[in-house]
Amino acid sequence: MNQARTEEGSLQTPVTEDDESWLGCWLQPSGPRAVTLIVVIFALIIIVSVLVYETGGTGYAWLHLMYLPILLAAAGFGIYGGIAAALVAGMAVGPCMPMDVAAGLPQTTSSWVFRIVFFLIVGAFSGLVSNFLNGQISRLREAHRDLLQTHEELKSAQMKLIQTAKLESIGRLAAGVAHEVKNPLAVIQLGVDYLARAANDTTSRDSVETIQEMADAVQRADTVIKGLLNFSRSEPLALVAVDLNPIVEDSLLLVKHELTRAHVSLEQSLADGLPKVELDSGKIKQVFINVFMNAIQAMGDTGTLSVKTFLQSSSTGDSGRDLDGASVVVEIEDTGAGIPEDKLDKLFEPFFTTKGVGSGTGLGLSVSRNIVEMHRGTIRIANREGVRGVAVTITFPVPHRS
Amino acid sequence: MTKKKILIVDDEPGVTRMLKRNLEATYRYVVRTENSSADALRAAGEFLPDLILLDVMMPGLDGGDVASQIKDDSRLSKIPVVFLSAIVTKDEAEPTGSDIGGRTFLAKPVKFDDLITCLEKHLGK
Repeated sequence: MNQARTEEGSLQTPVTEDDESWLGCWLQPSGPRAVTLIVVIFALIIIVSVLVYETGGTGYAWLHLMYLPILLAAAGFGIYGGIAAALVAGMAVGPCMPMDVAAGLPQTTSSWVFRIVFFLIVGAFSGLVSNFLNGQISRLREAHRDLLQTHEELKSAQMKLIQTAKLESIGRLAAGVAHEVKNPLAVIQLGVDYLARAANDTTSRDSVETIQEMADAVQRADTVIKGLLNFSRSEPLALVAVDLNPIVEDSLLLVKHELTRAHVSLEQSLADGLPKVELDSGKIKQVFINVFMNAIQAMGDTGTLSVKTFLQSSSTGDSGRDLDGASVVVEIEDTGAGIPEDKLDKLFEPFFTTKGVGSGTGLGLSVSRNIVEMHRGTIRIANREGVRGVAVTITFPVPHRS
Repeated sequence: MTKKKILIVDDEPGVTRMLKRNLEATYRYVVRTENSSADALRAAGEFLPDLILLDVMMPGLDGGDVASQIKDDSRLSKIPVVFLSAIVTKDEAEPTGSDIGGRTFLAKPVKFDDLITCLEKHLGK
């Protein structure tokens, strides 16, 4: 299948990974397949030998069937397989086998040697061809694997480009909208403040409540706009090599009130001696607070928020002290209801929210991911296995030591 | 008590009107509003306010340009200027105003009580 573009412009997979055809898997086989092939070759040699003897002798045409196991051995095991099969086949129809059974004519030594040499030439030549073809096939397979890998990388780059373009256009739109909306919002805010101050004892309770609701609505609209502006800005980071744990602790302190209010208990396990990572503390706090608040809101009235930090080495994924390619990881888990599986892949899309109307802008996680990726980190969200709740895993690369 | 004079420059008439109404309702301020940044310097020269509340993004001269003109004018250079802007968020500016790059910024939409706190802080200097 040729590489093609769909109507949406995304890349289609050019070829499938299923490159092992029923025939291809018998070329240079290993393990049980190799044993099976050897057994088949020997069986064929024996069958052909018996056939030759039973039908008249080596002077008859059935002898040519012996090329079948030789060619099979050459195809399967290359030049050495071909030569070995030729020798065995030559021995099988060796000097003891008569030239003509019916006439009782013995075959001559020269004809036997000549036949073995002929078998060897065929075995060696077809083995060489097989070696050459197998080499070509290996190179093709390698090229195929490279092509698949390149295709995957291309697809991933394309998705990132689409996402970036989408974010940029949303960002521009958001900044414009935010600015235009803030002025009328300022008028409403000041108007509400004016009316609130003008209210006195004779003002009806409904009027006072209405004014208060309008004031709350202005604040909510302002929060949405703040989210839009944060989303649209990609200011350069002020990266400093810092310990991650104090940033986690500071962020937890900022949501302490929310934890108490929602009766959420906190379990904290911050690893000692983590290597420093290059972070813009202010921006990373914004990410942590966003994730903590999401977790607290997901748990409703009660639950447990677990925050863990640890070092993860790149190769094994286990904790270790080999810092080459290692990451510092923050794992944040809640005991809320979890996220429906069909919504998991939409969580980072701008304006997507699982919260009720007016409870979230749907920009928090998009902004958080932008920030984490600007730090060359990753953020992953998944439902916890076997228990209720969501696990958010954020990683930051440990910088290479100069 | 002497009323303090406040000059408000903002291209949004709704904003200047509402600010004027709120401030004058306290009986502590005399307010003049100007919706054109080009006329801001002249208005400041005539009114000689105790404080100028200045929008940032305006057609023609922006708030920064107007502030520079005021600073260059010997009669006006000592007048405190507070920027009231939609381009800063409340994450970047405190509700009662923040010093950003040597200038005081208030984020729109500002609550009136926060505005008064900010004005009093600068008028008391």
